[in-house]
Amino acid sequence: MKLFSEGHFLKGVAVIALSGMLLSVAGCGKTSSPTATAPVANQEAKIGVISFLSGGGAAYGEAIKQGLDMAKEELNAKNKIKINLLYEDSRGEKTDAINAANKLVNKDSVVGIIGPTLSGEMFAVGPIVNGAGVPIMGTSTTAEGITDIGEFVFRNALPESVAIPSAVKKAVDKYKLKTVALMYSNNNDFAVSGYKTFEKAVKDSGLQIVATETFADKDTDFSAQLTKIASLKPDAVMVSSLYQEAALVLKKARELGIKVPFVGGNGFNSPQLMKIAGTAAEGALVASPWFPAKDDANVKKFVEAYKAKYNKVPDQFAAQAYDALYIMSAALDKSGSATDRKKLRDSLAGIKDFQGVTGKFAFDAQRNPVMEATVLLVKDGQFTEFK
Amino acid sequence: MLNSLLNPYYLQIGMFVLINAILGISIYLTLATGQLSLGNAGFMSIGAYSSALLTIKLGLPVYLAIPTGGMASVLIALIIGFPALRLNGLYLAIATLGFGEVVRVIFLNLKITNGALGISGIPSLNVLTGNVLSALGLGDGFGGLSLQQISNCAVLLILFVILVLLLFFTRRLGFSRVGRAFAAIKADETAAQAMGINTTYFKILAFILGAFIAGVAGGLSAHLTFYIGPKDFDYHRTVEIFIFAVFGGSNLVWGPILGALLLTLLPEFLRAASDYRMMIYGAILVAMMAFRPLGLISEETVRFWRTKLGRRSSK
Repeated sequence: MKLFSEGHFLKGVAVIALSGMLLSVAGCGKTSSPTATAPVANQEAKIGVISFLSGGGAAYGEAIKQGLDMAKEELNAKNKIKINLLYEDSRGEKTDAINAANKLVNKDSVVGIIGPTLSGEMFAVGPIVNGAGVPIMGTSTTAEGITDIGEFVFRNALPESVAIPSAVKKAVDKYKLKTVALMYSNNNDFAVSGYKTFEKAVKDSGLQIVATETFADKDTDFSAQLTKIASLKPDAVMVSSLYQEAALVLKKARELGIKVPFVGGNGFNSPQLMKIAGTAAEGALVASPWFPAKDDANVKKFVEAYKAKYNKVPDQFAAQAYDALYIMSAALDKSGSATDRKKLRDSLAGIKDFQGVTGKFAFDAQRNPVMEATVLLVKDGQFTEFK
Repeated sequence: MLNSLLNPYYLQIGMFVLINAILGISIYLTLATGQLSLGNAGFMSIGAYSSALLTIKLGLPVYLAIPTGGMASVLIALIIGFPALRLNGLYLAIATLGFGEVVRVIFLNLKITNGALGISGIPSLNVLTGNVLSALGLGDGFGGLSLQQISNCAVLLILFVILVLLLFFTRRLGFSRVGRAFAAIKADETAAQAMGINTTYFKILAFILGAFIAGVAGGLSAHLTFYIGPKDFDYHRTVEIFIFAVFGGSNLVWGPILGALLLTLLPEFLRAASDYRMMIYGAILVAMMAFRPLGLISEETVRFWRTKLGRRSSK
């Protein structure tokens, strides 16, 4: 039964090591051509995109890709520095995102990166890209602490720490709230982070929290939590979760006779909310950087063009990705180089008074966006501006 | 040439290959006694979280924290091993899969693990070796290579040494009394017991060894990826580790290692296929199971090549 004698042990190690090396050399052959620097005359900036293009969250990645593709076409039609987008799929997985980032930075030699889609991916990718000195900009990474990773990490996603307090403040002013109940999904990083922001915003406004109830993603029954909340009669309920659970919470709450306003985190910010909850969604509030029906020439033009191309109204992910590429391109123009990563970082950091479809935009000293959120109210099955 | 070969992208993939190979060894060890244990992702997460928390909260050096993480996995394996290993076959698989999910949910709800947000800013092996190297005066790189490349190579070397040591250990184990006992239990547990082998002891031993190695691999991966969250260790991860063994073949330790190597490289090679990447990946797995249900490497394969190569060299 002695299949591999001791002498063969080392041989086995060598064979595996060698085959590994051969495989990576084989992959290497393709690399040399794209690393050559672009000629000055016809400048082309290579921008990498890491996005959630396959798997459970592919809808987000797809919207981001569509927004970026549209921005690229428009920009390349008029700008001197042409943009070449290199897409890499992260499947929403940390290791895949790391590999994608390493490939873009080291093999494709991109000048900057847009993405990744999830905050968790950014926490893994950020330190690597930052260490390599490549500017990276998240378009949908809303969690706390993203830009603390390093000075090359940017985002144009309105963090929940800005959106939620503005929604809470508007609701407090309008409805004269005194007591609130909080609900959140405790197994979702995004929802937990949103809950923490809610808690802080509510306390800052001097409201009393009468109950804090949790549930989990993919839960369908919320009667226990909502019955308790109904008995405490709060003036409003704040919910931090994705739209699936949010819609079901709304439905159940209205069934149980809870008629008070609901204030939501970014999870509420989806047309799917009204689709699932129907009339139960009436009166729900959410702060969003993106409002497709906004009375603004830029927004109207973008929505028209997007509709013509993809036959649907752009969502927040598409809009923020669209703006992100415009911001990148503006920074590239200002730096005057299509390949200098350090210059791109510096000119990105200096972006201000940028007018995008998500409103007026600037980066603060922490490379977070300075922008205004529009508070939206669900009325007659539509998002309308809450004034 | 050397410079482009030592591209951090390839080096990073190399690191993932080695980590996955170590995980392959961990599942091979439990499979060696014929136990289908699917708790590896759970043990991996215990190692990863322990090691990350020890370094962040207590400031323990990484080289101590990683083995301590492995020991934490052993502790848990001891506690759940005795009741779990009374089960067999599929029942054990389901119980250990459940164990992995329980561990994940616990990490999801603990305050110290930061719940669903996970732990970020874990001290990285690359950065640490980079610091050591620059203290040695290699801060500006060496022989045309940057500091990053050298430190990545150093980490790769460390991982490779760990893998070789584990391989050596596993191979030695295979020829020892313990290994024979493992094989006997795998072949027929009742017969092994009748021959006087303490089957519980050996099954627990294999379980604990597997847990330790998975814990160490978890610790290593935490210190390579800066961030861990409960989502990284769900049952997808377990299945992935299990596929290394199934794809490569689980009868010889080379099987899971080859499986880990190929299955980690494959998605990267298929990046060129973009949209079709995961489809091709899936198709390859299906084709593989259809044509080589026992995995790429089995005793048969080794025998076949041995006789073939032997004949050629004797000519």
